[in-house]
Amino acid sequence: MIELFHIGKQYQKPFWALSDVSLRIKDGDFYFVTGPSGSGKTTLLKTIFRELLPTEGQILINGINILRIPESKIYRLRRRMGIVFQDFRLMFHRTVFENVAVPLQVIGVPRKEIRRRVFATLQKVNLHQKMWELPARLSYGEQQRVAIARAVVNNPEIILADEPTGNLDPELAFEIISLFKDINKQGATVIIGSHDRELIRHFGDNILFLQKGKIVGKEGRA
Amino acid sequence: MIEKVKFFLTLTGNNLWQFRTRNLFSVTIICLSFLTVGIFLSLSNNLRDTARQLSNNLTVAFFLDKELPAAAVQALRDEVGQPAFIEEVRFVPPEEALEKFRASFPELGDIIANLKANPFPPSIEARVRSKVSASGNVLEFVDTMRGRAGVTDVQFNQDWVEKMQGFSRLAGAVGAFLGGILLLTSFFIISNVVKLNVFARKNEIEILRLVGSTNLFIRIPFWLEGITLGLLGSLLSLGLLFVVIRLFPFYVGSSLGALQDLLSFRYPDLAQALGLLVGGAATGFIGSATSVSKFLKA
Repeated sequence: MIELFHIGKQYQKPFWALSDVSLRIKDGDFYFVTGPSGSGKTTLLKTIFRELLPTEGQILINGINILRIPESKIYRLRRRMGIVFQDFRLMFHRTVFENVAVPLQVIGVPRKEIRRRVFATLQKVNLHQKMWELPARLSYGEQQRVAIARAVVNNPEIILADEPTGNLDPELAFEIISLFKDINKQGATVIIGSHDRELIRHFGDNILFLQKGKIVGKEGRA
Repeated sequence: MIEKVKFFLTLTGNNLWQFRTRNLFSVTIICLSFLTVGIFLSLSNNLRDTARQLSNNLTVAFFLDKELPAAAVQALRDEVGQPAFIEEVRFVPPEEALEKFRASFPELGDIIANLKANPFPPSIEARVRSKVSASGNVLEFVDTMRGRAGVTDVQFNQDWVEKMQGFSRLAGAVGAFLGGILLLTSFFIISNVVKLNVFARKNEIEILRLVGSTNLFIRIPFWLEGITLGLLGSLLSLGLLFVVIRLFPFYVGSSLGALQDLLSFRYPDLAQALGLLVGGAATGFIGSATSVSKFLKA
C-alpha cells in the first residue's frame, strides 16, 4: 500500500509544485495520474521513488515511512520498483540488452537467468530483434520501449511510469498500456502519469486529476 | 561470487576501452612517475652495493720509507697485525706495487717504462674485518701508526666508503623526493581522469542508483579501473626501467671513465619491483576511490 499524507513540494518560493496531496493506493491497483503539463504529475511520481524529497508531508509504502530511509538504504526501496522515466534515461553507450539487464545485474541475478529474462521481456515489447543495437540507433518509440522493458524486467511490486506512451503512436501506446495491465494482473501496483485522455478513458480504473499541484478530482477508487 | 567477479571485470574492461585515450594518458603519467622513482632506486642500489663491497674490503695501506731496514719493517708489520680487528697483514714490495699499477692502468705503461727508477715505495697492507670496519678503534689505530718512524703515508679507503654511503643515501633521498612529487602529481592526474570518467558517466551512475544499485556496486568498477591503470603504468615503468638499464652502458660508452661504475644502474630486486607495482596499484586505487566517493556524496 502506498500512502501519501499532505505532500507538498516547493522547488522555489512561493510556488508549490505539489500542495496538500493525500492519497492511498492499494496493492495491485492500476492508477492513472493525469493533468495538464506542469500540474505536478512528474513531481508526484518522483517523490514516491524518492528521487525528490517533498517539502512537507509523509509517504508510507507498506507502512514504512520512505522519507526516513537513510540515503545508503534507498536502494532497497528502488529494487522493489520499476520506473519509466519521461526522458527514458538510457545508457547510450550500452546495447539494448545491457540497458534492460541492469536492474537484474544490480541484484546479482546469474548471467544465464539474466539472458533468459531480458530476452523474454524484450519479446514482450517486441524489441528482441534489436537487442544488440545501441539505443541511439533506435527510434524514439523504440527507446521508450527499452525503458519500459528495463522497468518491468525484474517483476517489481510497484511500477511508476511517467508519460510512458508520450512518443508512441496510438496503436503502440495501447499495446504498451496493455503490457502494464498484464503486469498489473500478475500483482504489481502500476501508477502511470499521463495526459493521454484516450488511453485514460480506455484503461483508467482509478484516476487522479492534478492541476497546479493540487488534487482537483478523483475517479474509481482514487 | 565468480560470476560477480567476471561481471565486474568485464564491465571494467569495457569502461577502460570506452575512454581509452584518456586512460592511456593516465597510464603514461603513472609510468613516467614510477620510471623516475625506479631510475633513482636502481642508481641508489648500485651506490649502496659499491659502498658495501668497499666496506667489506676495507684496507689500510701504510707506505714505508724505502730505506727502512728489514727488521724495522718486520716490527711495523707485527705491530699492524696485533689488533683483533685486523684480519690479514701483507707486505707489498715496490716491485709488486709497480706490477699492480701496470695491470690496473695499462694505458699508462709508456710513462712507467720511461721512468728510470721504481717510484713506488714498499707498503704494508692491512685488511680490516668487515664487521668492525667503520669503528672508531680502527681510525685511532690508523692515527697511531701514522706517527710511527718509517711510515711515510697512510691510505685508508674509509673515506670512500663513507662517501659511497652518502651518495647512496643522497640518490635514495632525491629519488624519494622527485618520485614523491611525481607520485603526488600522478595521484592528482588519476584522480582527475577518474573524475572526468565519473562525470562522463554521470547519467549511467544516476540510472544505476535509480534502479536500486548500491554505492558499492557503482564504486567497484571505478576502483578496478584505478587499480588497472596504476598497475599498467607501473608495469610499463618497470619494463622501461629494464630497457634503460640495458641501454645505458651502450649510450654512455666509456665516456664516464672511472665514474661509470658508480653511475651505472642495478636492476631492482624482486621486493622493489613488487613495491613499485603495489605502489602503482595503490596510487590508482586511491585516486579513483577519492574522486568517485566525492561524486557519490555530492
